[in-house]
Amino acid sequence: MLTLDRASLRYGPILGLSPTSFELPDGGGITGLLGPNGAGKSSLLQLLSGLLPPSGGEVRVFGEAPFRNPAVLARLGLVPEGDRLPTGLRADRWLRMMGELSGLSGEGLKAAVAKALTTVGMADRAHLTFARMSKGMRQRIRLAQALMHEPELLILDEPFNGLDPEARLTLMALLRSLAEAGTRILVSSHILGEIAQLTDRILLLFRGRLLAEGTVTEIRQLLDRHPVELRLTGEAQVLARWAVEQPELVALRIEEGSVVLSVRSPRDILPRLQKAAAEGGIPLQALDPLDLNLDAVFQYLTKDHA
Amino acid sequence: MPIYAPTLPPAPDLHQGHPPALVLMRFDLTRLWRQKIGRFFGFAFLMLLIWKVARIYVDHLLQTNQAFKPMQEFARTILTQGADFQADLLNPASYLLWFLVALVGGGLVARDTLYRVRPLMYAHPVAPRDYLLAKLGFASLLPFVILLPFALLPWLMSLLLAGFHGPVWTTAPLRLLPAMVISSVLMGSLAVGASSMAATPRAGIGWVLGLVLGAGTLASMIHGLTGIKAVDALNPIMLAEAWPQLLVGVEHPMVGWLPALLGTAFHIALWTFVAARRTRPSEAVI
Repeated sequence: MLTLDRASLRYGPILGLSPTSFELPDGGGITGLLGPNGAGKSSLLQLLSGLLPPSGGEVRVFGEAPFRNPAVLARLGLVPEGDRLPTGLRADRWLRMMGELSGLSGEGLKAAVAKALTTVGMADRAHLTFARMSKGMRQRIRLAQALMHEPELLILDEPFNGLDPEARLTLMALLRSLAEAGTRILVSSHILGEIAQLTDRILLLFRGRLLAEGTVTEIRQLLDRHPVELRLTGEAQVLARWAVEQPELVALRIEEGSVVLSVRSPRDILPRLQKAAAEGGIPLQALDPLDLNLDAVFQYLTKDHA
Repeated sequence: MPIYAPTLPPAPDLHQGHPPALVLMRFDLTRLWRQKIGRFFGFAFLMLLIWKVARIYVDHLLQTNQAFKPMQEFARTILTQGADFQADLLNPASYLLWFLVALVGGGLVARDTLYRVRPLMYAHPVAPRDYLLAKLGFASLLPFVILLPFALLPWLMSLLLAGFHGPVWTTAPLRLLPAMVISSVLMGSLAVGASSMAATPRAGIGWVLGLVLGAGTLASMIHGLTGIKAVDALNPIMLAEAWPQLLVGVEHPMVGWLPALLGTAFHIALWTFVAARRTRPSEAVI
């Protein structure tokens, strides 16, 4: 569906995106584009949504270059970053205009507007002006404009910015249902938790470079030189005595009622831990991985490339 | 039991609607229609139009009614006659029209810049030339549509009252319509160019007024310093007034044919170029 082959983007002398290559497969699913501000997320999305041509390399969406290509643009939907919409304008009128720009007309347009509004849960409030809408409502209208022509690829740039938790969860549920229905979704964010809640498949960008691609676990496996921290809750002294005998142990610290281990290759140590606990060899009450989350992966990767 | 990969439902029937430029123009037009600004200017132009048409009737009365015979000479001295009168059908509305073009045209591109609407449009099957064409088309069509009744209604009134010998020449629309087209495109391109340089609609209004008045002032200063009359062709207001006069055969006191042609071409080319540069996709930052 989407291929980047050493695609790069320059803004004059500034490199917005280093030569980057990756592929997104056909079919539905959500991919998170993750990176701090200035990482090149928006540059990448501009390339994919046909707003800019690549300075080098090749971008292909549905097998064609997207830049100024109506055949590609008609099949993708874009929700750009930001909350600005013409304040005095009614949402339904704006949606009709955007639908017409997608090539819809007449009854087809009416049906598409109604369906998109129903999908985002705004059917009964579309007559309001943007000034009278909350941030979450405006974001849903922006999403509706991208859905009207039923795109196969939906690109969202920082869609959760400024949304309250409830609106965020609603939007996440909506995106998941769209992905399940067969839409390929690419979501960018600089908030790790958002992407982690939404999808397991991520592209990690940092300073215009694609650092990693894959699931959180896959990326974590790339980081063998970074030990994983595990908290074992129970009798700390006994647990520590068992831990020091393990070859994977790198560091250990005893806290109140628990012991925190830094270990390499958790896949090797975890079965032994499980076995020892089952046989009653160690008084283990709880096991918590402290840095197997996206936050830690991100910290490690960006620290390595900084 | 086989497991099928999720597939999308059939896509809606696209490519059925109007060209994007037309859609955008219509959207701007309906937005203007709902604004109070349209009502104010509608009233003002209507009053001017009534005065123009009434003038034809008064002229007819002076020519045909013996009771007004003593006033004929006086009327000739205070009211424009002949070719001047034909050109004057368009001119009194000039300043008001420039003001309207500034108020409406100033926000045309600037509003989309402020609300970052252009990336969304360009992410649809809308080319930058469609966008530019829509904005230029709307900004030029607006003054043209307003001027149209000023050229046609007095002409029709004159035909109805006095046939081919009325105060308005029978060929007047053939001369005034091209003048209107040129003036309207001049106004439209300047407004869109100025609006594309502004970040907000209000700033756009300021840009249009600043460019129109600034260019006029600059032209007057250079004229004053060098004594070259042709420099006045840099003044867009004067250019818009000169075209009806030139086309009906009145010699404009400041601007001749060549300076008018060069000045108009310069303004249209410059401001269209500026607008095209400022509305490129690379300017439409996400």
